[in-house]
Amino acid sequence: MPTSFAQTNDDFVSRVFRLPWIMILIMLGLGIFGVAVLYSSTITNPIEAGLPAKHAVRLGIAFVFLFALAMTPLGFWSAVSYTGYLGALLLLVGVEFFGAMGGGAQRWLDIGPIRVQPSEFMKLALLLALARFYHQVRASGEVKFFHHIFALLMIAAPVMLVFRQPDLGTSLMLAATGFAVMFFAGMRYWIIIAGLVAVVLSAPLAYFYVLKDYQRERVLTAIDPSRDPLGAGYQIQQAEIAIGSGGAEGRGYMQGTQSQLDYIPEQHTDFIFTVIAEEFGFVGSVGLIGAWIALFALGLMVAGRSRSHFGYLASSGAVVTIAFYVFVNIAMVSGMLPVVGVPLPLISYGGTAMLTVMAAFAVICATNLDRDKHLSISGFF
Amino acid sequence: MGRKREVKELDTTRRLFIAGAAGGLVSSVLVGRLVNLQLLNQEEFEARALVNQISLVPGVPRRGLIFDRFGEPLATHRTSWNVYAAREDLSDLEETLARIAEVVDLSPERQERLVQNFRREQSFIPVSILTDLTYEQFTRLSVMRPQLPGVTIEASHARSYPRGRDFAHVVGYVARANQSEIDAALEGLDPEIDRQRISRIQGVLKHPNMRVGRLGVEKEMDDWLGGTPGNHRYVRNAQGRTIRRLDDDENAPKPGKDVHLTIDADLQREAIRLFGDQSGAAVLMDVNSGDILTLASNPTYDPNDFVNGISSVDYNALRENERAPLYHKAYDGVYPPGSTFKMIVGAAALRAGLTDSSERVYCPGHYDFGGRRFHCWERRGHGSVNLKGAIQRSCDVYFYEIARRLGPERIAAEARTFGLGISYELGMTGGASGVVPNDDWKRRRFNEPWYDGETLNYGIGQGYLTVSPLQLAVMTARLARTDGVAVMPRMVGVGDAVPQNPQFGAMPDAAIMQKLREGMFAVTSETGGTALRAGDINFNGYRMAGKTGTAQVRVISAAERVTGVIDNADLPRRLRDHGLFVGFAPYDNPKYAVAVVVEHGGGSSAAYPIARDLMHEAFVRDSGRAASYQIASNATDTEAI
Repeated sequence: MPTSFAQTNDDFVSRVFRLPWIMILIMLGLGIFGVAVLYSSTITNPIEAGLPAKHAVRLGIAFVFLFALAMTPLGFWSAVSYTGYLGALLLLVGVEFFGAMGGGAQRWLDIGPIRVQPSEFMKLALLLALARFYHQVRASGEVKFFHHIFALLMIAAPVMLVFRQPDLGTSLMLAATGFAVMFFAGMRYWIIIAGLVAVVLSAPLAYFYVLKDYQRERVLTAIDPSRDPLGAGYQIQQAEIAIGSGGAEGRGYMQGTQSQLDYIPEQHTDFIFTVIAEEFGFVGSVGLIGAWIALFALGLMVAGRSRSHFGYLASSGAVVTIAFYVFVNIAMVSGMLPVVGVPLPLISYGGTAMLTVMAAFAVICATNLDRDKHLSISGFF
Repeated sequence: MGRKREVKELDTTRRLFIAGAAGGLVSSVLVGRLVNLQLLNQEEFEARALVNQISLVPGVPRRGLIFDRFGEPLATHRTSWNVYAAREDLSDLEETLARIAEVVDLSPERQERLVQNFRREQSFIPVSILTDLTYEQFTRLSVMRPQLPGVTIEASHARSYPRGRDFAHVVGYVARANQSEIDAALEGLDPEIDRQRISRIQGVLKHPNMRVGRLGVEKEMDDWLGGTPGNHRYVRNAQGRTIRRLDDDENAPKPGKDVHLTIDADLQREAIRLFGDQSGAAVLMDVNSGDILTLASNPTYDPNDFVNGISSVDYNALRENERAPLYHKAYDGVYPPGSTFKMIVGAAALRAGLTDSSERVYCPGHYDFGGRRFHCWERRGHGSVNLKGAIQRSCDVYFYEIARRLGPERIAAEARTFGLGISYELGMTGGASGVVPNDDWKRRRFNEPWYDGETLNYGIGQGYLTVSPLQLAVMTARLARTDGVAVMPRMVGVGDAVPQNPQFGAMPDAAIMQKLREGMFAVTSETGGTALRAGDINFNGYRMAGKTGTAQVRVISAAERVTGVIDNADLPRRLRDHGLFVGFAPYDNPKYAVAVVVEHGGGSSAAYPIARDLMHEAFVRDSGRAASYQIASNATDTEAI
């Protein structure tokens, strides 16, 4: 152990060299591709003319942000995790009481001139807090069943608050991230299988008693877009037409009629995948999915190499968080899931999700840098 | 480090693998979905993308133009900016109209009427909102265009008649298709089987830019001029804004073909001008070709008023005008030919050998027959006259006598030989056949036999006999022909309405024709003629030969004969006689024939100056200019032109 630790040079330059550059390059490529696709999807609408440039600037800032966070020692992430979790929880409660109305749901909180979306912040905070929790439990002994119960409570609190906003997509995402950490932390397989079975069985109950009318409507529309041909169903139908008409090789950059003639609402944000699928075809869309899968695989490998339990849990959970964005988005726009408002990271126009995803990547990068370090039982160095 | 752990090692690698496998599973589901959408069903989605962006819009074909003899446009197009919309493309009809009313004058009443118009039509049929925008209206609306989704502001070809009034009766006009015209177009189509075709025909016929021929050449040659309706294909974006029109030869409407008339527009204008405020008709035709150079009726009206629909006030004013401006007098109007018919009676008698050109009949001013006294227009009598003198001085008694000898059947037969009693297909609506009476006709018409007294009136072109000014011109042209050919009139140079020649009996011998022409020459050019001032047409020394005529409108009673026939000038206009004149020139080598009728002109003195001046103008204008059209020799040739 000390041998490898001793060989690790911890000065700034060598840390930079040890960054997971392949992952960063793939991300950079996706970001640049996103700007190009955004350009194609907004070219016909003069109101959206400035968006690709704005997106590019945001990407630049996000990469600087990523770099800064990635260089942060893993122990710091662990140290701030509980504070961050509690802070995010407080903000969510604040949204519940004082939140401004935004996008038909209470998601934003105005603090002076700043507008924050605590649920987005919570995605990362929950991940880190759970990772630290299991790290501590494991460091002090065996993980017992009641530990999982406590973790479940840590997950449930923000999930319920976000669900009340209401923001089904984010609450499901929080739950998924939380469960993923529980899984990586060693929850027994039979409990997981039982849990999955329970989820499947309780889905109809949730559908009828937990979901709100408009959410039920979304589910029904996803199953049968022709129910609502002028509203949400229209969007899904047009998205399917765009994806399907792309064919194997696509219609060519800036040649997609669905995209260029504005047939798909939100095509520059949540539905940007339809533009890629239409203009770059099966080859392009599978290539995009492949790039993401490569990123995820590299992320899981970083997790697997982490010597600290915190690093292992935080980066594997981060991979799940990002994967959740990507998979849910593609499934949503291709008509396999209800439209829940999940963007395609790095490519969709919009800043909030980009920051979350960058922060999650930063956790993976930090884990990679400090993969040989052990963290103390408390989670500090 | 050295912390000793009792816990068993966590299977992190396996769990990461499981997570990776789950990710792979999800990815393959997504890729499977993409395979399904993009690889297996691409064609379907591509088709739907096409349906999405391409909207079929009924395409109004460009109507063919109408030209005169020298290529002068008679019916043409001007650009007109129109605003229309189909109900299905509007999110809110009332609001859309209110927005339009913000920038252009559109009263609430008009808006209400438009709403009713929209409600009446099926939702996909475009309804006209504004026509013929002024430049200011157009710019104001164009600025507003983004706020008016679904509303079309489009330049269309509005029919325009640059020679408006001169050709109202001949060219006619176009109008929006009315319900009976739409029904006629849909006749024979099954509402179940031909639904698509029916809606396409309706879509085009009800289109705000579509016009159909309503009268005249425009109507008669509608198939030729109108072209073939089709569809335009537009690429539209999701907001319904047109991005571009696709070139599409197969579905696009086919433009109509042009029509060339034999009429000389300037000569036609001169004819109208010559009438001044008198009502009547003038026809001038080429003796050799049958080309009609003038077919004028006066008074007239402006067909441009009808293109976008004339107001009922204006229409009633035209209808109730006692000079009947809407009436195509030259083609549809029939009049007793009066003395202009006397050459035909003479021809019949010579042909039958019942007289010869030297036989003299004594005219004491009246003719007693069957206990009745038939008066000559010359109360004092003409004395002893032969055929030439009788034509020259228009002696009624001479023609009473030879008509009596002929009987109605032979007169009727000769009248038909000279082209009376039939309707000519000239390629426009209307066409009167007039009446060439005989015993059979009278029995059918009145269930009465022919009385001999009627034969005498027949001899001077009165009674049941009626002719149109066109027929008079044809008759005169045939009289002018020295080769015995029964010339046929024609007016449409190109088209499928080139008339089919009816069969005529053989013209009288050249010698007989010569005698008749000599009589007509004497009318205008020898002392004692009834129209001596018509002989000199003031062109190249040409003389016009002709014949005057007066058609009595009222019956002159015996009592009036005693007290003296009231002079026409003292009668109310509607009771005055019609004045007629027919003629041809130049006498020794006839080129043009002319016929003029002046309604209630009081006598032939109203008609022959018009005929003379028109003839003069025809020769002045005839400087050997080639006509711009080619006459189709038969129907199959017309396609190639």
